Amino acid sequence: MSDDFRTRARSWLEANAPRRRAADEDEDASPVTLADQKAFQAKLYDAGFAGITWPREYGGQGLTGLEQIAWSLETRDFDLPNGAFFIGLSMPGNTILEVGSEAQKKRYLPPMLRGDEIWCQLFSEPGAGSDVASLQTSALRDGDEWVLNGQKVWTSGAQFSDYGAILARTDPTKPKHNGISMFIVDMHAPGVTVRPLKVATGHSPFNEVFFDNVRMPGDALIGEENKGWDAAVVMLRHERIAIGTMGGFRTNPLGYESLRDVAAGLGRTGEPGTRRRLAELYARQRATGLFATLLREEAQVGRMPGARGSVAKLAGSDLGRFAGNVAEDVLGDQLAAYDSDEIAAVATMIVAAPGNAIAGGTSEIQRNIIGERVLGLAKDPGVDRSTPFNQLRVGTQRQN
Amino acid sequence: MALILTSEEQALADSVRRFVADRSPLTSLRHLMAAGEPYDADVWKQMTAQLGLAGLTIPESYGGVGAGYSALSVALTELGAGLVASPLLANLLAAEVLLRLEDTEASDDLLPKIAGGELIATLATASQAGGRVTASGSPIGATLTGTVSPVLNGAEASVLIVPAEADGVTGLYLVDAGADGPTATRLTAVDHSRSLARITLDGTPARELAGDAVAALAAAQDLANLALASESAGAMKACLDMTSNYAKIRVAFGQPIGAFQAVKHRLADMEKSWELGYAAVRDAARAGDAEPGRFPAAATAARVLLAPAYADAAVDTVQLHGGIGFTWEHDAHLYYKNGMSNKVLLGGPGDQLDRLADLLGI
Repeated sequence: MSDDFRTRARSWLEANAPRRRAADEDEDASPVTLADQKAFQAKLYDAGFAGITWPREYGGQGLTGLEQIAWSLETRDFDLPNGAFFIGLSMPGNTILEVGSEAQKKRYLPPMLRGDEIWCQLFSEPGAGSDVASLQTSALRDGDEWVLNGQKVWTSGAQFSDYGAILARTDPTKPKHNGISMFIVDMHAPGVTVRPLKVATGHSPFNEVFFDNVRMPGDALIGEENKGWDAAVVMLRHERIAIGTMGGFRTNPLGYESLRDVAAGLGRTGEPGTRRRLAELYARQRATGLFATLLREEAQVGRMPGARGSVAKLAGSDLGRFAGNVAEDVLGDQLAAYDSDEIAAVATMIVAAPGNAIAGGTSEIQRNIIGERVLGLAKDPGVDRSTPFNQLRVGTQRQN
Repeated sequence: MALILTSEEQALADSVRRFVADRSPLTSLRHLMAAGEPYDADVWKQMTAQLGLAGLTIPESYGGVGAGYSALSVALTELGAGLVASPLLANLLAAEVLLRLEDTEASDDLLPKIAGGELIATLATASQAGGRVTASGSPIGATLTGTVSPVLNGAEASVLIVPAEADGVTGLYLVDAGADGPTATRLTAVDHSRSLARITLDGTPARELAGDAVAALAAAQDLANLALASESAGAMKACLDMTSNYAKIRVAFGQPIGAFQAVKHRLADMEKSWELGYAAVRDAARAGDAEPGRFPAAATAARVLLAPAYADAAVDTVQLHGGIGFTWEHDAHLYYKNGMSNKVLLGGPGDQLDRLADLLGI
């Protein structure tokens, strides 16, 4: 990779992107609107920094993983206002690039990169989370078209998405992995209903999406019919990589720096127990960051992280839980009730921590992946791989 | 400097690993245990003369290799994986103290011999519970009285560097283990790969070494933390590999036991702890060479993470092997005891957290 790219990236970011705020700076009063995000993504595209590794014929830059890593490193100091495109580009985008048809690549990838169209990912269902292959949303052929019925859940960005990559069952007589297909669904089509999903923190970062006789054209299929699981595996791999390389938040209220300041403010940094807890948090937090750095360094010399991305995700979730415990030690009863923003932020993060161990693949699934694909242990024994889906118990169905 | 190994470091790791496999497999440790010997003199000779391990952190001007902390950490990781019994750590700590002090006479005399493996030197330091030593007389004609235990290779060392107090001021004293020297009593070490002794001084002649004793002792603590964390990283990986491999071949209830989540998830957690600990060790090793100001906290953080993680992994190694893992014949208990010992030697987990809190300015 030429240093030119990195220099060019740095100077463009300096001129066009807001810097990350430090913990003690005030929050910016004006929230970033969707229009702002679209405008920023278009600027990024025009400057030649969108789709760095994607081929030129689909609007990409045709560069290598080295330029992609250089870009990630340079952007760490900036707060890019294009989060609405994160999911689309890293998951459905990369999947269409790998397994989509030529017509799909030409039609959908350039507008995605330019910021004209926003995408979401529709996998999880109320009855199919960790075991997403047991999904029940169905797509049935009707002439040249497909008819979609069912419910998806935990969909980020569905409320402002133009398209979604959705998994649906196309043959319930086959074993569960062999009767699924992946489609492109128009989120503005009649029969699509998006409802915000309120979570334990009281916020609504996700949606539920309902499909009621939604018609999809014949060419909406990504990859082959009943081969949707293969496409899903591709997308899940991209999801783990995207999550694993997101980088930490420098202003985390549950971070060592924040909790140390809180402890100092409460006059507790002289207590041996508190000092030890904070020191251990420092060590764990730092090691989690160092491991991500190590994975990046390995990728730079061509050793891809593969399933070790799951180690990074598991470590991040565990760190959140540990930090919550430290915060409880540091704050004591001051955490039970509060009227300060500082403590409210800590409490919200503790309440949110279990979500990180569920979203993007639960910690239990990550441990399966680490055990099977990093350590090479045998797969779980199970009846679900060979039984026709319509004879399988799924979700919370009672046995008849 | 990167966290990943340079090609030179990788080559060093490979050659030490081959050396351990060829010359010091775990069966050798069994022989030493049966014979009651602290280490294999031939293996030690090759470690020093052939591989230059005792001189890795000693500059070339003193006959060492001058390779630095990162290379040392890489070598110790491989030695730790094989539970190689040797006086290396004792020599490293004695050398570190001499390098930090300003006693030209002692450095000129001792460092080349340490680097060449010609003598065994040790730093006779332990926690307050391990006793204390007081010095009296003049710096040149001092005498030391008191006890210290446990001291690394205290029974085998011909030279001891002993921290002692004179009028409330800590100094470092050079003591010869000759006829007028201290009494060294070899203790029962929980870890079969370490030789530890109680050193009793009773009006023992000594010479005070010139230089800042407190700073030198702090540097020795940092090196001890890097060394024990590095050894623990290697040994923990050995436990992880041993147990994963067993989980692939041992069958119960019609499945390899690794198929069961009760086993699989425990191993996945072990893998996670190892990856994080290893990254922290690499960071500490790198800081030792490139960012000395950051080295104390980085080395302590690495030890804080790895020593307990390794000890837990060693317990899990016994547990996941089941009954066979608790037999004398199986190697699991060798790691378990090494893990226990690595966790508490030269400052236990609580002491290390206190040290880290001090270094971070909490």
